[in-house]
Amino acid sequence: MNLRLILAVIVGRLAMLASRLTGRGRGSSLPGKLALRIYPDILNHYRDQPRKGVIMVTGTNGKTTTNNMLMGILEQAGHKVVANLEGANLMTGVVTAFIRSGSITGRVSSDYAVLEVDEAVFPLVLGWIKPDMVVVTNFFRDQLDRYGELDTTVKKVLKALKKLTGDVKLILNGDDPLVARLAVESGLTALFYGILPVQELSAGASYSREAKFCPLCGAGLHYGIYIYSQLGDYSCPGCGFVRPNPDLEASAVLEEETGIRAMVRGTDGHWEVRLPVRGIHNLYNAMAAFSASLSLQVDPQTALASLGKYLPATGRMESFRYNNRRVLLNLVKNPTGFNRALFALLGNQGAPKQEVLIAINDNDADGRDISWLWDVDFEMLALHPEKFSRFVCSGQRAEDMALRLKYAGVPVWMVDIEKEYRQAVDKVLNGKGESVGILATYTALWPVEKILSRQAERVKDHDDYSLSPVS
Amino acid sequence: MTITVCHLYPDLLNLYGDRGNIIAFTQRCRWRGIPVRIMEANLGDQVQFEDYDFLFIGGGSDREQGLMAEDLTARVNNLRSAVEDGLVVLAICGGYQLMGKYYRMPDGTEIPGLGLMEHYTEAGDTRLISNVVVEAELGGIKTRLVGFENHGGRTFLNGIQPLGKVLHGGGNNGFDGTEGARYRNVFCSYLHGPLLPKNPALTDLLITLSLQRRGQDHRLEPLDDNFEKRANQAMVEKLLGKKS
Repeated sequence: MNLRLILAVIVGRLAMLASRLTGRGRGSSLPGKLALRIYPDILNHYRDQPRKGVIMVTGTNGKTTTNNMLMGILEQAGHKVVANLEGANLMTGVVTAFIRSGSITGRVSSDYAVLEVDEAVFPLVLGWIKPDMVVVTNFFRDQLDRYGELDTTVKKVLKALKKLTGDVKLILNGDDPLVARLAVESGLTALFYGILPVQELSAGASYSREAKFCPLCGAGLHYGIYIYSQLGDYSCPGCGFVRPNPDLEASAVLEEETGIRAMVRGTDGHWEVRLPVRGIHNLYNAMAAFSASLSLQVDPQTALASLGKYLPATGRMESFRYNNRRVLLNLVKNPTGFNRALFALLGNQGAPKQEVLIAINDNDADGRDISWLWDVDFEMLALHPEKFSRFVCSGQRAEDMALRLKYAGVPVWMVDIEKEYRQAVDKVLNGKGESVGILATYTALWPVEKILSRQAERVKDHDDYSLSPVS
Repeated sequence: MTITVCHLYPDLLNLYGDRGNIIAFTQRCRWRGIPVRIMEANLGDQVQFEDYDFLFIGGGSDREQGLMAEDLTARVNNLRSAVEDGLVVLAICGGYQLMGKYYRMPDGTEIPGLGLMEHYTEAGDTRLISNVVVEAELGGIKTRLVGFENHGGRTFLNGIQPLGKVLHGGGNNGFDGTEGARYRNVFCSYLHGPLLPKNPALTDLLITLSLQRRGQDHRLEPLDDNFEKRANQAMVEKLLGKKS
């Protein structure tokens, strides 16, 4: 019997209980932190316990959503799953997941571990646990001051993958050249997913493209079509590196008020996928989870049924209702994600005037450097003043946000600085707008969500969604 | 007269929100009714630096920085004569280092700079990453500049004038208390943030100098800088305390 392990588990469990009782924090990282301090090798104990395999999800955007979708699918298929939730994706979050699911003696009775892993700690986590499958969503700019530039991050992930043996399988976003390169350079088996490039989708193409140069030879990449950011149909005139032919490809994408749907073609059939959440980026997340589950031999209809009732995690395009107004809450953390959120606001046809709250913090978890706000295309808001009644800026960097809107061309009289979250939320909920959009960085999201959920009712869109398979 | 802004390598150097500097410069011209246009110059484009009124050079990741250095070196004489003639330049971070004599790697190899200014840079063991407050004298008025630095290089001025004195943060090299550099109408700094939006006095000085070079010597119309002042002051108070 390993007493140190038992002590670590007990202390972790107590921390979980304490955070639940006090209502402070979500208890998704602290238990792991304490357990690691008592027993630094604790993952050695857990790593071989999942019976059917360990799946890791990494990349910059969409990890949490993809991970939760995949967990939902595997559970729907009758498997027992260990997973880290709510974006607790550092070492501490991974350890917490095992402690939560296991017994006091550290036994975990599960089929799969589905672990969201931060791209910067991915190499570290790989030193402890060998995955059977790695899903990589995308590489967008994220919190530069913490991790250095994107090049470095991608190289570190690649280096870590190269140390894995041949039986690990990669599930890659083929539309992202920085992700697709991982297959070429690691030599591991890969399945690609993507969205059929069609002209209509490229309306969202914006400044903050990441890889304009071939990740393999450095020549300028040619793009047929951009989906958004650097995602699209690319080819390199220098070395011939091209968007790989996807094993799973979505087409006929249709954005609706309550979600998004598309036709999906795989090697063994074609289906209609319907998601109760909006946005192309969520379609990408669903494609990642669907690809992974097909590769794990889950029945496609089971997977689609699970995706059809997917509930977003906190702040991933979550819906609320207040006095008959729809309130949309969304996490923002980098230019690409922020641009997608702004498109969602602009695409909101049903509501002529919107109140918008933007809460920006600069704690470590948000990224201390907020320069990236200037890479977000706020200029698109100024082109449609008729869609907005007011912008309230909050959080530690409220003034910087207000300034960004001013220079984007938003009239100053439409912009308020309100540093206190409570007052800021009150203002937008009771303003002139007929609907409300709230965008917040990571550490601003939780306090805002807490205030909001006391006043507004959470809406579960999937209630009006049902599955309709095609084949 | 139309002010012509040259955004150098926008496709290459789009890190850290530095395009905010172009946005701030052009908006503050437009709000005063001064016509302004932005020309983008990319790798290999024919560029006559003399023809521009304001040149912005940013920084990028290592590979992009290398491509930029190579392209600019090929046209350094053209750039040098424009600088000597009073071309207004803002160079940030990697662009700042490039204006100097060289960048010395940890193994001693020196990557030559453009040599337009006397400063040089050496690789450091750690990165200087911090919010920064700098006291600078701009047009005879003491001003507090705020921004965010993130650099591995340590720059030594070698006799040229600094942009200002560090009140908080690392600055050029972490110990001599200087930040940035000035030479003729060239302004260099490590500060992202981006630099110009929260420091309107500097932006306006750049606009004034651009106009003066074309013989237009008039005082700029004041603007409502409420948001600019609040953003600047919030950072000064956060770093130096309430009373500053």
